[in-house]
Amino acid sequence: MKNSVMENSSDKSHEPLQSSDPESQVDEKPPETAIAKRLNSKFIRKATIISILLGLISAILTLLAAPFLREIAYAVWPHSVSTTTASKSAAKLKREIRSLDGRVSSLRNRFKSFTPREPYLIINTSANKVFLKSGDKILHEGICSTGSYVLLKASGNREWVFVTPRGMFRIQGKRVAPVWTKPDWAFVEEGLPIPPPYSTKRFEPGVLGEYALELGDGYMVHGTLYKRMLGMPVTHGCVRLDDEDLRIVYRKLQLGSKVFIY
Amino acid sequence: MSTANSNWVQKFLSIKRVNGWFAQAIQPFFARLWQHRKTRIFFILALGLPTIIVLVLTVVLPATYAPFDDVTENLNTETSAKAADTVVKETEPIPPDLLQKNAILKSEEAYWQARLKLAKTDAMQLSIDLRDSVVSLDFRGVSIQSTKIHRFRVSRAIKRLQATGRLHPWLVNGFTLQKELATLPKAPIRIKEAPKDTIEANETSGEELEIENSDVHFTWHFDRQLTVLVEQAQTPTFVGRFSKIWYNLRRGSDSAGETLFNLLQLKLPRHRLWIELELPREDAKAIYRALPENAALALRL
Repeated sequence: MKNSVMENSSDKSHEPLQSSDPESQVDEKPPETAIAKRLNSKFIRKATIISILLGLISAILTLLAAPFLREIAYAVWPHSVSTTTASKSAAKLKREIRSLDGRVSSLRNRFKSFTPREPYLIINTSANKVFLKSGDKILHEGICSTGSYVLLKASGNREWVFVTPRGMFRIQGKRVAPVWTKPDWAFVEEGLPIPPPYSTKRFEPGVLGEYALELGDGYMVHGTLYKRMLGMPVTHGCVRLDDEDLRIVYRKLQLGSKVFIY
Repeated sequence: MSTANSNWVQKFLSIKRVNGWFAQAIQPFFARLWQHRKTRIFFILALGLPTIIVLVLTVVLPATYAPFDDVTENLNTETSAKAADTVVKETEPIPPDLLQKNAILKSEEAYWQARLKLAKTDAMQLSIDLRDSVVSLDFRGVSIQSTKIHRFRVSRAIKRLQATGRLHPWLVNGFTLQKELATLPKAPIRIKEAPKDTIEANETSGEELEIENSDVHFTWHFDRQLTVLVEQAQTPTFVGRFSKIWYNLRRGSDSAGETLFNLLQLKLPRHRLWIELELPREDAKAIYRALPENAALALRL
């Protein structure tokens, strides 16, 4: 074994050992067995470190693959089946199936009764689409614009987030030829000074289209002058519709009608 | 034997494919390793033992001993008594289609029971109906979006749960969302500084609106060990491929972290019962963003 080590000319660890070992510098030609022993101990150290490292890597990889390996285990390993069930005859099972069938249809009908029969509006803020429905039937669908998700930061640590709220709302008011009462952020956004609360500068007619349906907290479904922006998230939280869509929605929805926004 | 082994290793390392830097780096090492018997044994043990220990603790034991104990442990005894999903101890031959119909109806009953229960809450809910391949967003019992599932895969552990008669109690109460991980933000907030004056406001008002076009992949972790993975049906974009890799890495590290956490608490790792769905990108995005924290899910298998 020693010979084979000594004969291995490709072993680079031989050279640094000779130059760095003080003993070898004192004795010009140290005994061959001492060098071999040193080489051996150095190799064992190296092998130990490498094997521990490889072992750890392999263990980590196994840990990462554990969920997949468990899936394989569930697929191939035999398993005990449920024995808690009482013995049943085919006739008994048929009776149970009939009873189950009845219960399932009753549950399904109870769930369906939640869907309003009268017209209601669904607004998808992610796709900027609007659906007017009655029961399961779609009466009308179109595109809209919803909240832009802009966080407007102004001086004095004031900030506003322009998001369309999600959830279920009811139509709280229906207005024809609505006039927009501009809130503070509308002036901040335009770089204008904020006027007092009831200043005439705050009232702007014509920008909300022909109709507006109030949802509460200042949020509305209304028309727009910026029709090319329809289908994009650009509003300050309100829902903007095209004139024709707005007309249909205004006509169909009554005070108290449900509006679902998601 | 040792010489024969050594020759075999030498042969293996000298074949053309491993020649070059690889062979040069490892050939002398392995050649010498094969000559040191003790080092060789230590090498094999150090390499194999941690892997075997991890394999036993994270795969063999969890898959063998009561893997779904806590899946149904908090459910009442009434529903547990109804746990007869599929398997009936036969006293006379029962047609398999009857057994199958019974199982389907029980699963459907659990689904509608869960959906009705969730309809009473004032929050957005999710319903996954794998039998009809439909995902629905519900609010107070009104289905406000229905999306057709392109494709789905179900964990084999769910089949195991069914076979052990625990599927019905597992499904009947609905699930609660606990954690989510996605390639897209939940709310795509953009920060904008208010302009100082009208001139600056006019300059910024003409800026083009960025259209969000990110790929949609997300994971929902529900209670009772349920995980729902949603993938977009469309081919990923070039940038999307990188975000998917990062997302997969995060998923893997989360799973490994959870396993380690359990092991440190001297518990067997819990296997998550997963369902993978493939949905159209826009629908998947809308569903992901609509579902709030702690949202509930009704599932039909």
